[in-house]
Amino acid sequence: MTGGAVYIAGMGIVSSLGLGLDETLDALITGKRALTPASPFPILLPQHLPVGAASAVSLENAAETPPRTHRLARLAADQALASCGEPPDAIVLGSTTGGILTTESLFERKIVDPQRYGMHALGSIAEDLARRCGCTGPVVTVSTACSSGAVAIKLALEMLRCGFARRVLAGGADSLCRLTYFGFNALQLIDPDGARPLDRDRRGMSVAEGAAMLLLSLAPSDAGGLQVIGAGLSCDAYHATTPHPEGAGAMAAMQAALDDAGVAVSEIDYINLHGTGTIDNDLSEARAVKTLFASGLPPASSIKGATGHPLAAAGAIEAVVAALSIEHGLIPANVGLGTIDPALDMAPVTSPLKRPVTTVLSNSFGFGGNNAALIVSRNPRRSEAFPAALGSPGLSIVGRACLSGAGSTEETRRAFFMDHACRGLMADGALAQGLPPRLIRRLKRLPKMALSLAVQAREGVDAAQMPVMVSMGTAWGALSETHDFLDRLFETGQQYPSPTDFIGSVHNAPAGQIAMLIGAKGANVTTSGGDYSFEQALLAADLLTRQTADPILVVGADEYHPVFSPLFDASVRLAAQPADGGGGLLLQRVQAPGDLRIALVYYGAGGNAEGLKTMIDALGGANVTGRRYGALMVGLPAARREAADRQLDRFLALSRFDGPVIDYRRLTGEFAAASAVATVLAAEMVSQGSVPGPLVGGTDQALNGKGVLVLGLGDFITATRVFVS
Amino acid sequence: MEQLISELKTKIVDILNLPDVKPEDIQEDAQLVGGELGIDSIDVLEMVIMIEKDYGVAINNKELGAKVFATLRTLANYIQEKAPELPN
Repeated sequence: MTGGAVYIAGMGIVSSLGLGLDETLDALITGKRALTPASPFPILLPQHLPVGAASAVSLENAAETPPRTHRLARLAADQALASCGEPPDAIVLGSTTGGILTTESLFERKIVDPQRYGMHALGSIAEDLARRCGCTGPVVTVSTACSSGAVAIKLALEMLRCGFARRVLAGGADSLCRLTYFGFNALQLIDPDGARPLDRDRRGMSVAEGAAMLLLSLAPSDAGGLQVIGAGLSCDAYHATTPHPEGAGAMAAMQAALDDAGVAVSEIDYINLHGTGTIDNDLSEARAVKTLFASGLPPASSIKGATGHPLAAAGAIEAVVAALSIEHGLIPANVGLGTIDPALDMAPVTSPLKRPVTTVLSNSFGFGGNNAALIVSRNPRRSEAFPAALGSPGLSIVGRACLSGAGSTEETRRAFFMDHACRGLMADGALAQGLPPRLIRRLKRLPKMALSLAVQAREGVDAAQMPVMVSMGTAWGALSETHDFLDRLFETGQQYPSPTDFIGSVHNAPAGQIAMLIGAKGANVTTSGGDYSFEQALLAADLLTRQTADPILVVGADEYHPVFSPLFDASVRLAAQPADGGGGLLLQRVQAPGDLRIALVYYGAGGNAEGLKTMIDALGGANVTGRRYGALMVGLPAARREAADRQLDRFLALSRFDGPVIDYRRLTGEFAAASAVATVLAAEMVSQGSVPGPLVGGTDQALNGKGVLVLGLGDFITATRVFVS
Repeated sequence: MEQLISELKTKIVDILNLPDVKPEDIQEDAQLVGGELGIDSIDVLEMVIMIEKDYGVAINNKELGAKVFATLRTLANYIQEKAPELPN
């Protein structure tokens, strides 16, 4: 075993500072400030706010496909992979914008051709990279607002440490778009004079764009031997947009990263601050850093006065900057600073410093109180904390809930088990039942679904097993808020966009709401990958619980929106009637004989000829599949029906499985999170010990200790075991 | 002025979707934000947009906002003073 060493084997970067490592380094050495009014979309208002545009990609043609974020991500990925011959085993990418710049541009012109919205999804960026480099393993997209890039690197780190992969491409990408430009402006979080982090007169950030990718590997590389030695996540569980005033969550994330790396604060040579330039962020971060580094603060700076704030790309861009800082003995300046804010009581580095750097701490914090900290070093990790030896695979199911057109868990179970359709849309009033009216007064459909699932999944659960972490998968995020924000933006000639809709539009807003409702201050991750978003959330939960028995709430949910759902989701377009819903599982890494368990056994590309064979091997081999599983719940998305049917036939032939096969979308309807509903219903079957007769055209079939296998087919193939240990 | 105050009460209840709050529950001289009504910093931003849209008055930074949104009366006074089209 490598002792948890994860090497940086390749890096790629594009930002407002330039394209590639050399241009970036030059810009850092000269203290370049790259904020200009240049923008990839027209601004109708008289005032053009400074932004950090990546001019390596032309600012023309905002409506094009592939969208701008995809183009930025390709540039960074190509550099990171340039020196390696074979594709990575997995990709983990952070993004908040996906193809939204293209979507906005089309939506403004009322274009309704769904083909042109084909790369709207956040997950489509990483999928595009996977196709280009031939990666057939898991392709995971993380969306935790401004910490996305750093959270992606954390998940990649855990994938490598537990032997799930040998080489992972990880990073972040976001493009400038109307949503973030006008959204942050509506929140009064943009400095009209350009971001001045830590300045006494700072008034906010400058939105920016870019991408950075790291090829992380278990094998030592020739390139300097730099390692990512630690990463820590936390959630403020405090406010949707404002950080905790004392920086409690920021401190927890930094401490977790230090513990993960096994280094003391005295060993940190440079702190790359999140330092957005907003009044609240800089104040709470300064407090957190000063408390943690009470014994002596190392040189610290924010580069966001140089780059602007590239949102989901920030954590990855700054991980690359941390590596450059170590390689070249350079501490970047806190560009844009005029007068140090005495209230912060800390002095950042004002001009670039040449001095040896061994270990760097890099902070990234985001909306929803999502905090991440990374540690990059020339020295190896010294932590004692290795992934725990795993006994029975998977996680214990402590609580569960689902929602469908039929209603909540009990109504859904009753309908589904009678072989009755439960597809449709649960009434808004019913969704809100049991939720505090003040809490949900500003929430639209998706966050209400998420909160409802969180409340239901915790019902009857011991206080000791209440969730500390949250992992939520959603293919499309909060469509109502996104639609309403853009609609009002265009209707009012860009003048009066809604701050509330902007806050609600970020993909991780529902998971942030869950954290606030239940006080979950551990890692809080939102994943997004089409019909496999829930499986990505399960994968993230598996990775985040490798060293802890802290309970984690895993949610999969997607809302139906009359305009956007048919435009974005090809399966929804083919559906006879609108449907939405989701499922939630409260999980814990404990060993208790006889308990109900869940394990994601396989996640890989659907187009890979060897994929199903590898999946069956992972399930225990052909002869075992029939002995272990009493039923197959299979997800056949309408838009991929032909390919999925062929995959199913091949799976049945290879595995020789001859038990009942339940095509669950026939009953749940077509929506991306249908697999979350199916997985909860599979848990119901295993729990009651039988497959309901109506579903298999006869009498109830006893499971006799066997489990149920939930299979996802189509663009990706996934296998989730639900079983009794 | 009284008409403006009454108009603002209706608009605030309308845009903020405050549960169980009626226009007459908003006291002119009581603390507007962070008090019993449950109005918070995000609501302030929504009110900023409404005031700019409906009265043409911009309140574009936090320090100014803290003063203007102290009470409903301070808000009405500010609008009265700055609005281009309101009769005095």
